[in-house]
Amino acid sequence: MATDSTTDRTTGEVTTWQVITGSARGATHRASGLPNQDAVASQHGPGGVVVAVADGHGHIRHFRSADGAALAVDVACRAGSQAAAVLAADDAGEEEAERAGQELARAMVADWRSAVAAQLEARPYTVEEQFVLNRSADTPVIPYGSTLLVAVITARWLVCAQIGDGDMLAVCPDGGSFSPVAGDDRLDGRRTTSLCQPDALGAFRTGAHDLSQVPLAALLLATDGYGNAQADEPWQPRVGRDLAEFAAWYDRHWFGPKVPDWAQRCASAEGSGDDTTIALLLPGKEDG
Amino acid sequence: MTGPTGPYPRMPGGGIARRPLHFIILADCSGGMKGEKIQALNFAIADMLPHLAAWERDQEQAQVFIRAIAFATEPWWHMAEPQPVAELAWKPLQPVPKGLTNMGPAFALAAQALASGRIERRALRPAMLLITDGLATDPPGGFEAGLSALMTEPAGQAALRLAIAIGRDARSAALDRFIGDPGVPVLVADSSEDIAERLVAASLAVSRMSEAGADRGAVARRLLGAPADAPSRIFDQDTIV
Repeated sequence: MATDSTTDRTTGEVTTWQVITGSARGATHRASGLPNQDAVASQHGPGGVVVAVADGHGHIRHFRSADGAALAVDVACRAGSQAAAVLAADDAGEEEAERAGQELARAMVADWRSAVAAQLEARPYTVEEQFVLNRSADTPVIPYGSTLLVAVITARWLVCAQIGDGDMLAVCPDGGSFSPVAGDDRLDGRRTTSLCQPDALGAFRTGAHDLSQVPLAALLLATDGYGNAQADEPWQPRVGRDLAEFAAWYDRHWFGPKVPDWAQRCASAEGSGDDTTIALLLPGKEDG
Repeated sequence: MTGPTGPYPRMPGGGIARRPLHFIILADCSGGMKGEKIQALNFAIADMLPHLAAWERDQEQAQVFIRAIAFATEPWWHMAEPQPVAELAWKPLQPVPKGLTNMGPAFALAAQALASGRIERRALRPAMLLITDGLATDPPGGFEAGLSALMTEPAGQAALRLAIAIGRDARSAALDRFIGDPGVPVLVADSSEDIAERLVAASLAVSRMSEAGADRGAVARRLLGAPADAPSRIFDQDTIV
């Protein structure tokens, strides 16, 4: 559990964002001996807070996808922190915030590919891995395939970027909720967009939201093991309502052990059976 | 301020559930199926279901739901609503006297059920099992139109499609086209007695091929008698858009 403060210049109020994460190995991965191929990271800087979750694809073609996911959240935190610093320093407007999301996506794609190349230099494919690569006729970056969901929160802005499946849910104090990025009809539950695809930048969905206009009670980021475990369809409205009610009633520390437990349950054989990672951000106001 | 109302769940939302695996049986009820064949088929399906239910209990991911389309000259839903396999009591099929074997309309009917918005977004790849004792008798273009309607739906295209031919004469290029995977052979039941065995093999194949990361080619070789040199499609599977 970690916290970060962002100060609203107009009111002098300090919003302290608490980040709670949980990640669990899927029951199917456990049964087949695969590791948890999800990753999660957060970073707190002078501009704001950054949270990223990623889901390595898991298929044999993507045999280094756990590494790909770890590299993805790492580069996302660094690029996101830079974006937060710029947004905070420039007192950015809507256009700048939108552009920051697009720039963030661009930086993450470039940095992730560089990070993959650096890892391949340090740890080239083994003979066995090269055999799989040759059989699938894939480019060297494909084995690292991963999704990536990133949220950057400054005093005024929520800037999000997402490639691939998984969910972001922005929860309002009244229990209403919305996805901070647009949907993607290509995500049919069987295939996903990915950092490893040639046109990854074009597959990113970004969004910017003015938190002074639309304050949030919570922000949820989750890999698809979470949504695929939900019995409701669509599940977002009820989860949003419940999270708003929990956030209003319970101390933020109440969530600390809950989020990892939720991830564990979703990843179990009673849920999706897939690796599940959740990052929950909760705001709290203090006088500046 | 009052606390959250009611017996609050420990998790937000409406609870969790396994991912649905929709299994659609397309059963030939043409006139040629009358008598011993339809009796054997009904027995075989009833015998297959416990195998699927056992797999459902043993694995970590899916909840299996069964539906059935019967077809002759026209198709109809024999079981329209998805039934949990563990609770299903098979209702026997009846043949249509002088009914033809028109497969295309049956594919089109299945396509409607697999249309976007009709099955859960979180559902696993559906499975379809076509069982027939004869060659398709569709009017010109009918088979193709039905298959095209099925393949137009993303879930239909992604579906694991298997076929059982009752009698060697029923094995045909049309069934291979329905399967759409050169690594997965048509299962042939030489006699009514073989039907149950082939259905069990098919259900095992469906279950194993539906498991995360499954190599369909390897399963087909092991359970369906695919030739050893049949191509493995594991490296060809679309994982990314």
